[in-house]
Amino acid sequence: MGEVTLTDVRKNYGALEVLHGIDLSISDGEFVVLVGPSGCGKSTLLRMIAGLETTTSGEITVGGRLVNKLPPKDRDIAMVFQTYALYPHMTVADNMGFSLRLRSISKAEIAEKVARAADILDLTPLLQRKPRQLSGGQRQRVAMGRAIVRNPSAFLFDEPLSNLDAKLRVQMRAEIKSLHQRLGTTIVYVTHDQVEAMTMADRIVVMNGGRVEQVGSPLDLYDHPANMFVAQFIGSPAMNVFHGRVSEDQDAVLELEGGGILPLGKRATGAEPGQRISLGVRPENVRLAEEVGTTSVQAKVMVVEPTGAETLVNAVIGQSPVVASVKERLRFNPGEEVPLGFDFGEVHLFDGESGDRID
Amino acid sequence: MSVSGVEHVNGKAGRRLLSSSRRDALTRIAVGVITALILIYILVPVFWMLKSSFQSALEIRANPPIWFPGEPTLKAYEDMDRLIPVWRYLWNSVVVSLIASVIATLIATAAAYVLARFRFPFATLILTLILVTQLIPPITRVFPVYTFIQSLGLLNTYTGLTLAYIGFSLPFAVLLLRGYFETSCPPELEEAAMVDGCSHFSAFWRIILPVSLPGMAAVGIFTFLNAWNDFLWASLLLNQGSMKTIQVGIGDFASEGGGVQYVNLFMAACVVATVPAVIMFLFVQRWLVGGLTAGSVK
Repeated sequence: MGEVTLTDVRKNYGALEVLHGIDLSISDGEFVVLVGPSGCGKSTLLRMIAGLETTTSGEITVGGRLVNKLPPKDRDIAMVFQTYALYPHMTVADNMGFSLRLRSISKAEIAEKVARAADILDLTPLLQRKPRQLSGGQRQRVAMGRAIVRNPSAFLFDEPLSNLDAKLRVQMRAEIKSLHQRLGTTIVYVTHDQVEAMTMADRIVVMNGGRVEQVGSPLDLYDHPANMFVAQFIGSPAMNVFHGRVSEDQDAVLELEGGGILPLGKRATGAEPGQRISLGVRPENVRLAEEVGTTSVQAKVMVVEPTGAETLVNAVIGQSPVVASVKERLRFNPGEEVPLGFDFGEVHLFDGESGDRID
Repeated sequence: MSVSGVEHVNGKAGRRLLSSSRRDALTRIAVGVITALILIYILVPVFWMLKSSFQSALEIRANPPIWFPGEPTLKAYEDMDRLIPVWRYLWNSVVVSLIASVIATLIATAAAYVLARFRFPFATLILTLILVTQLIPPITRVFPVYTFIQSLGLLNTYTGLTLAYIGFSLPFAVLLLRGYFETSCPPELEEAAMVDGCSHFSAFWRIILPVSLPGMAAVGIFTFLNAWNDFLWASLLLNQGSMKTIQVGIGDFASEGGGVQYVNLFMAACVVATVPAVIMFLFVQRWLVGGLTAGSVK
């Protein structure tokens, strides 16, 4: 019913191709998040699914129907915009019932559906207010209410939480996820915030430069990034990456660009001696060691960031920056030398040229 | 020594503070005086017109001037229509200005919407040309517009004058409304409407038009006042007695000596000519201010 499939979807603006053949299959009821940096094409792709942008080539189907040539109103989708796009001259109830009125549904049925959606979203006391009389979070809920009254095949969310403050964003994140669990409708959700993607998605689609870099469950992407872009994009703080060349001898060390060496441990099995590689290690897999040894190196502390739950130690190894996330509440002076050890079972190796995973 | 040093500094700082607050007070007084002078400059002629319309011609010409009517009378209002058909002229002005205002606003709304929303060849050129028309002095248009209206056979018709007013108002109206659409009507509103089930036209009709009412009101009052206050075109394009607009009628009345001998009647006619514009302004001023300032801040 709510499957969405994209087959070799491309988008050109004049001679410039901005989406380079996207293939994606979204199951009925799935919560899929498109994530990527600004300008990667995720919003354009969402707008193409909605019918707000034309599709240069390829096929888009919603609920098994080819929708390439259909106007937005005939695609059986509902969309929540970053700016909410509430109609300012209408009350909350009129905003929510607008799409139903256009479909010539009886007033009684509209009132019933609006009341049900308002009840789900805790909007009942606000139904007679105008959008300007609502807070950001309430507006966001009205925008969602406007979408759910229609009971569409799929919901499209275009960075809906970007305009909210940090606390409200966390709250709305949970509300959207709980709404999805309750309604079970397919959701395609665009965000540039990888934390939103990790916490909400059944599957994440990481995009970059108009291409899909990797599709997978949040933890799959976190644990097994297909390339260096995904490795660095998913996770906060970002994965530490060290660029260098695998030593020619049998010691399996990484000679870092800009000076210094890193032990590679057993993870060097995928790399050839002399090969340029990048070694990635998550901040939580970097620990403070007792002393410099075969699995640890000397680092110079630059900044310490206590967050309460953990302490982020920003340091440099040679000239390569590294962040260690440790549970202990530590104090260091800038410039202090500390030995850092890596969990070699958790490091990731990427080809130095292509950035693809090699281990 | 340090204590006296502190006292010394405190004394200096205190004097600086005092002189700063004195300067602030002087600035406030100066601003108040200048504002009052400007208000007097603007309002005295209006007051003179209003009070004169309730006086006799003799009382108006008295020296020293009588600022407040001893025995206010409505005689001037009763008599003015005997000398010139004020009500007829007023009606002519209302009809021409209202029609010009409504048509110009509708055309400007449609044109501005297209220029704000759609990409098409020569859009920038069209905008530049619209802007350039604002730089041309109106007097230079006299001959071509007169010839154009004449060639259409519309001299001495309300249609000809209305067309001229619409044409003169459109460039500024389009620019104003285009800015309004771009800043106060985000495209997401139409997109949301289209996802909800609207076509392009119904999104414009059901969502954009109601949201644009403040901008349209601003343009409406602007075009109305443009037409209402016009003297040049009305005197050029209409020269039949009963067809004159109020501005031309009063102007003719003044040039024929009415302004001296029947100055009270003349002032009464001026008051009557002012009232519709004031009423219109009061009626839409809330929207007008909103329309001109909306979108300037988020």
